[in-house]
Amino acid sequence: MSASQSAVRSRAEAIKVSRTFDWMICFTLFFVVLGGYHIHYMLTGGDWDFWTDWKDRRLWVTVAPIVAITFPAAVQSQLWWRYRLPFGAVIAVLGLLLGEWINRYFNFWGWTYFPVNFCFPSQLIPGAILLDVILLLSNSMTLTAVVGGLAFGLIFYPGNWPVIAPLHVPVEYNGMVMTLADLQGYHYVRTGTPEYIRMVEKGTLRTFGKDVAPVSAFFSGFVSILIYFLWHFFGKWFGGTSFIKSI
Amino acid sequence: MAATTESVKADAAEAPLLNVKNMILGSLVYLVFYAWVRWYEGIYGWSAGLDSFAPEFETYWMNFLYIEIVMEVLTASVLWGYIWKTRDRKVMSITPREELRRHFTHWTWLVMYGWAIYFGASYFTEQDGTWHQTIVRDTDFTPSHIIEFYLSYPIYIITGGASFFYAKTRLPTYQEGIPLMYMVAVIGPFMILPNVGLNEWGHTFWFMEELFVAPLHYGFVFFGWAALGVMGVVNLEIQAISKLLKKDLA
Repeated sequence: MSASQSAVRSRAEAIKVSRTFDWMICFTLFFVVLGGYHIHYMLTGGDWDFWTDWKDRRLWVTVAPIVAITFPAAVQSQLWWRYRLPFGAVIAVLGLLLGEWINRYFNFWGWTYFPVNFCFPSQLIPGAILLDVILLLSNSMTLTAVVGGLAFGLIFYPGNWPVIAPLHVPVEYNGMVMTLADLQGYHYVRTGTPEYIRMVEKGTLRTFGKDVAPVSAFFSGFVSILIYFLWHFFGKWFGGTSFIKSI
Repeated sequence: MAATTESVKADAAEAPLLNVKNMILGSLVYLVFYAWVRWYEGIYGWSAGLDSFAPEFETYWMNFLYIEIVMEVLTASVLWGYIWKTRDRKVMSITPREELRRHFTHWTWLVMYGWAIYFGASYFTEQDGTWHQTIVRDTDFTPSHIIEFYLSYPIYIITGGASFFYAKTRLPTYQEGIPLMYMVAVIGPFMILPNVGLNEWGHTFWFMEELFVAPLHYGFVFFGWAALGVMGVVNLEIQAISKLLKKDLA
């Protein structure tokens, strides 16, 4: 190919070409990351995300942020560190939520008839915004991991509070005290009904007060810090442009 | 038409850089086909898919499985074979404009890959969770699996393979060797299909329906991570396209 030849005929065409590629790249990146993130999330934290009666104050609060911070960290490692685009975490989480909402509506409700207010996904946007804002303001991977990772874990429960609170009010049913979410679970029996598989919230600390959710969130934030570091470097590796000579 | 493209024809220079019609048509093919598949699941999942020993299960689901497997092998052979057979043997001597046009065609393939991955890894995989937590399986070939494992996964594998072969056979960028992250982005999600072997083996041993997050499923998770290899593909492509446009955008 001749270096003197041009691929485009004018500057205007060059700009148009560049913008068109931007859209095609965004579409592909969004949906491929969505696919990878969703299969990861549904198979590492999915049950807690599927059903309101799994959304308890301990395991849901602990597990969901830890497994959710992975792809946002990896995508940030490319979008920010290569292109200075400060929305890697939010775009990854938006992808995941889009995939989940489409699924919960068309499949959980549309195919197997679980009402959407029993199987809506967890809210992850507040934590993603914090991750992006902290990275944008600090331009530091370490600060984002430590402050952002901790915040990602801590804000998960409050971020979900507006939607989950009405389902955590106590009710009395057949002489038992339970939450509305538990009651939903009894009416919509699945193989994964928590009581059936003994995945119920238990422990001793709750005896002394209402510390379960904050302590779980704190622990989740701690592990999220470590996971952020790990996945930042995974992301850097996945963004590599090297060639190998043979397979 | 010659089996092998020896050089770029002069009139090719006048073809549009991006064939938008092809891209929209391709996207619609996936969308309409999967909408039909979802309709089929909705109707015949409940009416014929609950008992694998029933005659109607054989009619509506096992026959679906046999047909799709044959179609997939045929499609992969014809499509990949065509792309390979019509490869450009003088790929390093194409004009910059032709190279740009091919990048657009390559990205049309990648857009289709994005679509196919979405339906396979997101839509039909999470759907499997709700189906199996509602309808306890009595076979490895459930209505959900026949669509998820043996239809939506092969479709993204075929699409990803076509995209990779297109890049390798027609773009100068990929003549340096084998792009590692492209391999990861295509082979990783491909490995989810062989991992079905582990999954089904485990399901024949243990009753696993209670937990979608059961460790038996972690093979899918591991290979799902490989989708992130698309970031490496994007980086490679941006480098190549920037090189082509740099002078005109300066």
